[in-house]
Amino acid sequence: MTPMRADAFQAISDVNRRQILNLLTRNSYTINSLAENFEMSRPAVSKHIKILYGAGFISIEDIGRERYCILNQDGFKELQGWINFFDKFWETKLKKLENLLDQKAKNENKK
Amino acid sequence: MTKTIKHTFFYAHKPEAVWEYLTKPELMAQWLMPSDFKAELGHDFKFIIKPMPAFNFDGIIYCKVLELVPNKRLVYTWKGGPEPGTLTLDSTVEWTLVAKDKGTELLLEHKGFATDEAMLQIFSVMDAGWKQNIAKIDTLLKPATV
Repeated sequence: MTPMRADAFQAISDVNRRQILNLLTRNSYTINSLAENFEMSRPAVSKHIKILYGAGFISIEDIGRERYCILNQDGFKELQGWINFFDKFWETKLKKLENLLDQKAKNENKK
Repeated sequence: MTKTIKHTFFYAHKPEAVWEYLTKPELMAQWLMPSDFKAELGHDFKFIIKPMPAFNFDGIIYCKVLELVPNKRLVYTWKGGPEPGTLTLDSTVEWTLVAKDKGTELLLEHKGFATDEAMLQIFSVMDAGWKQNIAKIDTLLKPATV
């Protein structure tokens, strides 16, 4: 499987890379056919693909003589993992704050 | 599945009381985390949580106060990464307090997980159509395996 060395956020922070992912939700493209959708040079597109690949958002399959880019779930799972982590984190913290405030109000009422 | 982080809590306490817990380091430490927070616009501070190597995250959260409206609104950045100097997560935490029914409605939004409209769309395709995509890829791969 693709090693997850590069970071998911960095990978999708670029608008061109997001556009590449967007195109890949509809179809699989070769690097050449992807490049046709952009003003950038083919090497520039290639560089973006490398970054997306490194972060686990796409995989590359050799089919015949062509190299196809295909969406890979790993990158998305990592993003989801982060979101889930902080979502839970805040929920727990806010509950704690609630208990704390309630406790404080009780103490004040006793006085 | 959650794509945006948003929580609304109602506390039966005045905004002033809730605000204190959001902005006084000694009170923040009781429910959130110890930090060198100061209620000053532009102040840099840090939180330290558990490092998560699997996420390429060293556990240090770098923050800067971006907005400060006493008893109403507090916004700070929330950045992190694999090591000091390399910040890959670039998000913001927004607190909004609204006085309501003798208490406070506290809204928290943690934004910046690259989940803008376009990204959400891609996400939903990944969620819903993944099986379909697999089927498509299978068809595509067939010529290569013949």
